[in-house]
Amino acid sequence: MNDAIKMQISAFVDGELPQNEAELLLRRLCQDRNLRQQAAEYLAMGRVMRGERTIAGMSMLRERISAVLDDKSLQVEFEAVESDRPRYLRPIAGVAIAATVAVAALLGLQQLSTVPDVDPLSAGDSVAATIDGGYTVPGQNDDQLRDYFLRHSAASAYFGVNSINARLVTLQLREDVLVDTESATQPLDEGGDMPDSTDAADAQTP
Amino acid sequence: MMSLRRHTTVTAHVAIAGLIMGNTVLMAQETAPQDWLNRMASAVQSTNYQGTVIRLQDGRVEALKVAHSVSDGVVREKVIIQEGNGLEIIRHGNEVQCILPDKQSVLVEEWDDQSTLFSTLPSSDVRFGSEYDVSVVREERVAGRKAVLLAIRPHDGYRYGHRIWLDTETGFPLQTKLIGDDGEAIEQIKFADITLDEEIHASALASSINTDNFRWFTQPRRSIVAAVDSRWSNDNLPSGFRLVSNTEEELPGRDVPVTHILFSDGLANVSVFIEPADRIDIARRSRVGSSHSYSIETGGFQVTAVGEVPAATVEQIATSMQYK
Repeated sequence: MNDAIKMQISAFVDGELPQNEAELLLRRLCQDRNLRQQAAEYLAMGRVMRGERTIAGMSMLRERISAVLDDKSLQVEFEAVESDRPRYLRPIAGVAIAATVAVAALLGLQQLSTVPDVDPLSAGDSVAATIDGGYTVPGQNDDQLRDYFLRHSAASAYFGVNSINARLVTLQLREDVLVDTESATQPLDEGGDMPDSTDAADAQTP
Repeated sequence: MMSLRRHTTVTAHVAIAGLIMGNTVLMAQETAPQDWLNRMASAVQSTNYQGTVIRLQDGRVEALKVAHSVSDGVVREKVIIQEGNGLEIIRHGNEVQCILPDKQSVLVEEWDDQSTLFSTLPSSDVRFGSEYDVSVVREERVAGRKAVLLAIRPHDGYRYGHRIWLDTETGFPLQTKLIGDDGEAIEQIKFADITLDEEIHASALASSINTDNFRWFTQPRRSIVAAVDSRWSNDNLPSGFRLVSNTEEELPGRDVPVTHILFSDGLANVSVFIEPADRIDIARRSRVGSSHSYSIETGGFQVTAVGEVPAATVEQIATSMQYK
């Protein structure tokens, strides 16, 4: 994605891209999956750089774009919105709506193209989410499978580029372990016993 | 976002600078891929860095703040997950503290490997064998720095491809992308911003959370490893995979050690775990990110292959394991 496109997207998000350019950009984004992905990445980086954790109303926008994509073309929606506005408001309102739709498209389509808008690693406490028609994601109770992934990550860390990604997978899985650990503290707080699993953590004060 | 457009006028200057730097570009592209990999291996082991890492996977975007230093061979690292529960991971040598602020808890554990968050590619071309082509593609910019793009393309569908953007100045990996056999990116990690080789202040490596009133937990060391001469073999491995290690490991909750066999093609790794089937009840197929597992019961044993490879690879390896 070149700088010209980045500038267009920036202007688009700021609601300052001329309408004809906005339409063109939107069309390109709808037609080019790679460009959408790059644009989403670019916007996400900007979001992080500005220290924003979320964009307000994003889920609502996502729902809207989802509905739009399911029911009619983005172009039809764009024109319909514009024609409903008073003439003197058309350019600004049109661009604003276009920007709304596009932002949702940029950030939302990634979600829509995969499984559910939930974190599969924290989605449940069993062999949880089913994805890709039969694959599952280890849940908190899948200790054996989780141990396999963790041991594999540790062992393969000595080899290959996979260790970069494997380490992050490990971090995610360890987050699950932390959740387990937290639940294990409850009996102690209440004067009970710690679980006797060797996988459980030994509580101590620092 | 606005600032980018305000810098439109510098485009011409950038273009001129680009012409001036043309020779550098040529030099970057003329350096052999293996030399770049060697530079990367060295850079990853010795470079101090801190910055923001963006990770894209399964349609999700995650951001992590990372600081990493190496001093006298001791790795210190801090990773803060920017979204969700704000998990912090603080590493000092082999000791790792996982701090979960919303749970008011700290888990202390020892990692029994020496890898860091950003470990290294193999530096020896021998390890690539004939399963991949490695080439220098072009020069781009990542995180505001000049980077050379390396492409590692597999010859078949049993392994993923990789794209790696290395900082032209230091050889440090600024971005990695995992490519499926359909050419689509499965996962990518890139620095949105980074500083390299500057002294990392101690405060940048310490927890930003006051843990005085947190509950602390010590996780027991997870495994005891012993090299063994396993009675398990596989004569139908996907091309290029070969045995790397064969160990027995004590895993939590097991009465008997688990056999852990590691296969590698030099870049992609697959672990096979074997233990008695009587107490194992795991999913036949699972996926975590770009990693897959396939589990099958054979001869009273549960054989599970796990690796950051396509599903077909773990399935073939698991189903072709044989007890001698």
